[in-house]
Formats: sequence, C-alpha cells, structure tokens
Amino acid sequence: MGTCSCASQHENIFLPREAEIIRATRVTELEKHFTLKMKDGAMQYAPGQFLEVSVHGYGEIPIGFASSPTREGGVPNAASALGCRTFDIVIRSVGRVSTAVNTLEQGQSLFVRGPLGKGFNVDVMTAHPVLVVAAGIGLCPTRSLIQYIFDRRAEFGRFTLFYGVKSPKEQLFLGDLTRWRGSNEVEFFETVDRGDETWKGNVGLITTLFKKTTFAPDTRVVICGPPVMYKFVVAELDAIGIPHHHVFVDLERRMKCGLGKCGHCQMNDKYVCLDGPVFSVAEVERLEELFS
Amino acid sequence: MNAYFLKEHDLAPFLGRLIAVTKVIGPVAKKTKFVFAELRDAADLRLDYNSTILPPKKVFFPPQQPLVTFHGSQVKSCIAPVDQVLFGVHFYDMKGIDILDTLFRSGYPDENYLANREHTTIVCSNIQKVAPRAFFATAGPEMTPQGHDAFITKIAGGYVFDTRTPKGESLVAHGAFVPANDAQTQAAVAENDRAFNACPQQMKYSSADIAKKVRASFRNEELWKTLAADCLSCGTCNIICPTCYCFDVQDTWNLDQTSGVRTRIWDACLSPGFAEVSRGGGKTQNFREHPHQRYRHRVMRKTTYLNDTIGGPACVGCGRCSLSCLADIADPVPIVDTIMEA
Repeated sequence: MGTCSCASQHENIFLPREAEIIRATRVTELEKHFTLKMKDGAMQYAPGQFLEVSVHGYGEIPIGFASSPTREGGVPNAASALGCRTFDIVIRSVGRVSTAVNTLEQGQSLFVRGPLGKGFNVDVMTAHPVLVVAAGIGLCPTRSLIQYIFDRRAEFGRFTLFYGVKSPKEQLFLGDLTRWRGSNEVEFFETVDRGDETWKGNVGLITTLFKKTTFAPDTRVVICGPPVMYKFVVAELDAIGIPHHHVFVDLERRMKCGLGKCGHCQMNDKYVCLDGPVFSVAEVERLEELFS
Repeated sequence: MNAYFLKEHDLAPFLGRLIAVTKVIGPVAKKTKFVFAELRDAADLRLDYNSTILPPKKVFFPPQQPLVTFHGSQVKSCIAPVDQVLFGVHFYDMKGIDILDTLFRSGYPDENYLANREHTTIVCSNIQKVAPRAFFATAGPEMTPQGHDAFITKIAGGYVFDTRTPKGESLVAHGAFVPANDAQTQAAVAENDRAFNACPQQMKYSSADIAKKVRASFRNEELWKTLAADCLSCGTCNIICPTCYCFDVQDTWNLDQTSGVRTRIWDACLSPGFAEVSRGGGKTQNFREHPHQRYRHRVMRKTTYLNDTIGGPACVGCGRCSLSCLADIADPVPIVDTIMEA
C-alpha cells in the first residue's frame, strides 16, 4: 500500500488547456473581443456551447462561443467540422475574473475548459424560418449560431435577426452589424431603449420590433438576453402561434464548474451547465425557478 | 464473501498491524463528540460512537481539495490518491458515500473524488449507539448501501467480520481471524436489527409519496416562509450532510505570485450568494434571493430532485442536520410531516 503511481490514468476534468490570444479588441467600455487559438490542437464545439475561461490566480467564468465552428480565422472553412484551432469569445467586465481577463492583450494566454453544455439544436431549425432575438451581450453566444446559419444559408428558410441594446454605444460587433444591414441573406432589425443624437433607427424595447414584420407559425426562434426580456418575447411568439418546443432560450446562471457537479447553476432539478444552457421553452417553462 | 470472528482483545493488535502498513481512518473522540480522523494508535478507535461531527465524505471529498496547480503557463493535475482504510463507517454514512459515488460518477466522472474512493477500503461497523435525532431506518428504506468492502459487528466477546470484496478479504491477513460460527453470525444479524429498531424518529411516509408531495408544494410560499422563518442561512445543514456535495472553486497565489493552486471548497446552497450572478456596475442578480427559497431548495434536493439519479432520496437519516441547526429548523422528519399534512 502507498501513494498511487497511476496519476496519469485519472483524467482531471478540471485541467484547463492553454489558448493564445491572437487578437484582442476593446469593443465597448466594458466588453473586449478576443480571438483565441488553441495551443494543443482543435476545439470541436457546437453553436451555443460554452467554455470555462480562466486566468491563473483569479478563477474561472462561463463564456459562450461567439463564433461559429464552421469558421476558421473568421472565414468559412469546410474542414472545420473536425474542430477549429481559432474561435472568438467576448468578455464583459462584471467581476474579478472577467476584469482580469480584459487586461490581457494579443500574445498572452488564457486557459479554457470545454466545450461544455448543450448548444442550439440546429437540426430542428433546418429547412425552417429562423428568428434570433438577441439583446445586449446576448448577441455574443447567438453569434455562433448566426454565423453558422450564414455559412449554411441554403439549409435554412427565411432568417430574421432582432438585436436590441440600451443605448447605441453599447452595440457590439459593429462590422457585423454593417454587413447585416446590407445583407439580403438576413432581415436585420435593431433597436435601442434610449437613442442619442446619432441614432436614426428604432427606439423602444426589443418587443417593439415585432410590429415591423410578420412571422409564420413554423418559425424556429432563439432568444438570448437579460432574463426579464424572455417572458415578453414569448408572449409575442404566443400571439403568432409558435409552439414552445420551437422556441429556444439560452440561459445564464452561475455555472461555476460547468460539469453538473458544483450545484451553483441549478434551476429546480436542472443543471443549466449540463442540461443547457440552451433549452426549449417547453422543457423549462414549468420550472418555478426559470425566471425568478 | 466470508464471515470471520475476532476476539475482543484481538481488535487492537489487528488495527495496530494495519496502521503499520497503511493509513487508517476511523472514529475517535473529540471532547464530547466524535470525528473521523487518522488513527495513530489502535486504542483511539471508538466503535461505540453514536455519530461524528462531519460525515466520512471528507475522506474522498475534503473540505478544501486542490484540483490543479499552475506555474506560468504550466498546469498540473493534483490527483494523487493514497491507499487507505476507512474503518467503522455506520450504515447511514455508507449510504451517503454510495450516493456520492453515483453523483460524482454520473455525467463527467470526477476523478478528483473517484480516485480517492477507488484507493480506499471501507469497513462498516454496526451502530452501537444511536444518535439522538436519527431516523436512518425509515430514510429511503428502498436503498441499501453497496460500496463497502467489509462489515464489522460487535457481539458478546468479540466481533463478526463479514468480507464483501477481495479488498475486504485482504484485511483478514492482518488479524487473528477465525471463521465465524452460525451462532456468531446470527448474533451479528440480531445486533444490527436492534440498532435499526432503535431510531428515536421515524419518517412516516414512503419516499415516492414524499417526493411527489414536496415537489407539488413548491409554490406554497406561505408554507416555506413559515418553515424557514428562523433560518440564519448559515449553511451548517449543508456542511454536515453526508450527501451534500456543492462546492466553490477558488484560485490562490503562492507567495512567489507566479504560481498557485485552484482549489474546490465545500459550499452551501443555503448561503445567500450561492445562486447569484454579477450583472456589472456592482449590480447582481440572485436566483434564490430569499432565505425561504434557499431553504426550499435544500428540502427539494434531499427529497425529490436527485431521486431519479440515485434511486431514492438524498437523505440518509443520520440526524446531523437536526442536531447542528442552531435554530432547530432543519430536521427532515418534522419538515416532511408539515409538508405532507399541509
């Protein structure tokens, strides 16, 4: 009897992998956009999955992929089905870890564990109209799906994107927004809660965009944004007659371990990190702790 | 496997030889209470304990467990299990270990726990004294603990030692064991039955009925507010529970400020910030903001949420939460009675 000599056979689910920052761009006062490159190979993930991102000495935070696995280095790549070496994330400085991450620049490293959780069920969306409703930083995880749809555009029906932020200066991915405004592959609608002297577009909550267009009841819908928004968007979808098993929400909870163990993200009997973070509304609408 | 008999005065020499070759952890006295601790001397073992302050889950899932170390861009796993014997585990605590085995094995198997578990030989012992608020005989009676390697029962003049696995059988070589006769094995069965019938409290309802009614009572806010009215949100009921395994993960720097360790630390779903997320600008959102919401979450976890995964309730009836709660509002028996009768 004695110390185990088999340490290598015990795979440690908490062991992170190193990712080099190959681009770091501050996009707003609070948010920074990183492109990361795995040092030890590929990252094979699905849109909507997430990573535990860490800086040594500060800790880990759950962050959704902000680029599609169909892309490599920002451009569509047929070989990326085998995994990407590069991908994007966006970090908003809200706490100790995120603030530490946002001090990092190109050439430095982050550490990541993942991919984790269940992403968007693209099979359910295939051959159907798709509406993505993204508010605030909710555009980051949904961008992985938005890019995916663009890269496989022929596989989906009509594609509509609603994007809302509090004020114009909080808009993210300005290059993407410019492209989407002029694109004939997506019907792009945007709004701000409060305009300023530069803003010529819609002013009002994201639900006001439903007055701008119409939707077929077979539309598949993805919602990501502050929890308070969800029930109002779902009410609009109810009026159209879109069934709840075709409506998907990307939930935010305190996903500390990302592995369905630590308990912090539990919502009734669901582990958001394991059973989600993407759920159909039908799956979770009866959970008392969904929007509490 | 086999049933052996060990004379009373041969227990200490057996343990002494075991301590000489491996790490042995067992119940020892600590002031007026008992704790599981590494045995330095066989005479320290107290198989007559009623319950320990903390359950033996700490042997596999320590209150603070290093997960990875980091130095510059190097990260290393801290998994390095040590062979050990956990001696004198009561029936209900073995059930708790079994439950944690299932939970740490499910989904992403967590070797930080499982490696420690795999390297531990567990010897259960009969319950000589019953804790004041125990109800283990009626807590999830459909679940029988399976994970131990041997079971020792005190009878007149000595101990019956039942081995259940090759790991348990291998311990026999260290003591003056002889095959047990029928009278001795029957005496052991009777002794275990006696303890089983000595619980001061009983759960009056079936696990399935409890799970159903508790879950259906979620929205009865007044009920939960009444039950949790005196809750201090201290989390003691979580920390002392054999089936609680929530944790936080924290990084700490070494003095050199270039290396450090990522550690998991027992956490408590009763603590106010457990389900809180940052929103930026100093704002937070707490998904279980009020004490009664956190209290309800604990009761749901113990009686219904995990039942499908583990095959019954995540409560083993040890009575530790009842005794440890300063406000005395954590005892599952009156909680369940109140909910069932509401």
